[in-house]
Amino acid sequence: MTNRSLPRLLQAPAVLLLLVWMLVPLSITLYFSFIRYVLNSLRKPEWTKPALSNWRGFGNYEFVLNNKDFILAIQNSLLIVCSILILTVIFGVLIAVLINKTFMGRGVVRVLLISPFFVMPAVNAVLWINMILDPVLGLQGLAVAGINEVIDGLRNLPILGGFFSMWPELEPISFRATQTSAYAVITMVTWQWTPFAVLIFMTSLQSEDQQQKEAAVLDGAGTWSQFRFLTLPHLARPIAIVVMIQAIFHLSLYAEIEIVSRGNGNKNLPYLIGEFANNNIGAASATGIFAVILANIVAIFLLRMIGKTLMD
Amino acid sequence: MGRIVLNNVTKSFGETQVIPPLDLTIEDGEFAVFVGPSGCGKSTLLRMIAGLEDLTSGQIEIDGDDVTQVPPSKRGLAMVFQSYALYPHMTVRKNIAFPLRMEGMDQSEIDKKVEAAAKSLNLSDYLDRKPAALSGGQRQRVAIGRAIVRNPSAFLFDEPLSNLDAALRVGMRLEISEMHESMKTTMIYVTHDQVEAMTMADKIVVLQAGVIEQVGTPLELYHTPRNVFVAGFIGSPKMNIFSGSEAEKLGAHTAGIRPEHIDIDLSGGTWKGTVGVAEHLGSDTFVHVHDTALGDLVTVRIAGDVAVKHGDTIYLTPQMDKIHKFDEQGLRV
Repeated sequence: MTNRSLPRLLQAPAVLLLLVWMLVPLSITLYFSFIRYVLNSLRKPEWTKPALSNWRGFGNYEFVLNNKDFILAIQNSLLIVCSILILTVIFGVLIAVLINKTFMGRGVVRVLLISPFFVMPAVNAVLWINMILDPVLGLQGLAVAGINEVIDGLRNLPILGGFFSMWPELEPISFRATQTSAYAVITMVTWQWTPFAVLIFMTSLQSEDQQQKEAAVLDGAGTWSQFRFLTLPHLARPIAIVVMIQAIFHLSLYAEIEIVSRGNGNKNLPYLIGEFANNNIGAASATGIFAVILANIVAIFLLRMIGKTLMD
Repeated sequence: MGRIVLNNVTKSFGETQVIPPLDLTIEDGEFAVFVGPSGCGKSTLLRMIAGLEDLTSGQIEIDGDDVTQVPPSKRGLAMVFQSYALYPHMTVRKNIAFPLRMEGMDQSEIDKKVEAAAKSLNLSDYLDRKPAALSGGQRQRVAIGRAIVRNPSAFLFDEPLSNLDAALRVGMRLEISEMHESMKTTMIYVTHDQVEAMTMADKIVVLQAGVIEQVGTPLELYHTPRNVFVAGFIGSPKMNIFSGSEAEKLGAHTAGIRPEHIDIDLSGGTWKGTVGVAEHLGSDTFVHVHDTALGDLVTVRIAGDVAVKHGDTIYLTPQMDKIHKFDEQGLRV
């Protein structure tokens, strides 16, 4: 045995495991996406078993592409992922910089800040949609009703009343309605994942070189310049990590969408797959392949953008 | 211009006073070195001059203006840090240009100044590299370049050579000295290495526990140390300091003799002793002598190579006019 083959041999089990782990599900999905395969069919009982004789070619793909929800699902996937990424990074950086200063009770504040991350996604969605965003019983409904009441009271004022009576009655927003449910999902996931960003940025800020900051102070850099030219570049790498990890997680968002609107007008690709998988495994698999392609496109973009900062 | 005056300056961290009231004047164009053991407050003092630490009380003047409340960037000082404190994601060019950019200078003028500074520091070939791709000495030069372009009234150096290896340190020491000769700008240099202090300084400020023990030229400190601490701190190898009966014979509470001011003889002399370790450097021989009347260990420095080895019995004779005498308070008599 040569020197080179021994390490390879020792690596082989791990590589093999990974290959099996990835390739088997992918191949089965590919296979299913090219055949007619449904869970339940009284008319065509032969389709309920996966078999090569049920070959459909690109028929499943055509069926998915012609589905009215498909384009919406892709748009929604991208909208939700990108919005969450941008919001969590911005809030994460701001909060991390804010709590990087020493103040009374910093430890408690940090624990409280991290805690949303420990809430289960489904619980998070139920809490937000029922207790906060609900137009009648939620915080939103109560707040809008309260403001309306105050304005109502002001209308009876002797002189200014005329001015206030020109104000419209505020309408609470229903986040279960088709157009707005995506925003509800973005809001609640941002709330849940900002702590993750804060946590990563916070640890990174602690490793920031204080002498560099002092040098910058002597060089005449103000607070903003220090943030722009020292802190932000220092955070480039953790931002890259946060964006990567979150992109992977949020492309497969499901529980929040299910709970907020049951996919009503707000489907993403995983949700569409779930709907197809109620019966049509072939179409679900084809959508799955589209999801893989989308994820790869997103990954390539992210790697291009972020890989640069990681390489430096 | 850069005449720096400290008036009654103090610094406390909470309850502990690290710098008791202190007065010091550094003349324009002077190369002043703050030297002392670690924790003596020399870096704190420098940071107070730079404005990175607030004064607890007292006043700092630069060129006659009270700058005690002036923010660091407005004091017209430039500082070189021990860790270089280069901005890691910027190229050398951008690092050197940073203070000028913060001033809002024209890009063309910035380029001119950066090129000039880089040329004087032999950095022209490295302008587009990042600090990570430079050696320690080159990084140090970039840090100096960043200080030079600001055209400050004084340079502050905080142990700038501590992170370099011995050979480079000697080289950079010369470069900084030459820089001072050609620029004639006030420089304040903090170090714990008394060799750096002796070789570079116009004026050495010896500090211990926040107190100035002595201020003077290197040779003043060498020839007439004001007290036992300065006597022991300045000079390498260290002065042999002894008290007790041998000191009383000389009419002092404590006495000291530098290793280079002791003669040895194999047959007879003032003090008898046994050779412990003899370090042969070629140009010099350091002989460590045990079991003398002076106490534990006496170091002797002999020019040239002397054939003594471990276990030899030798006799030591001090050059009487080179003996330093101190009273009970440790002050020079």
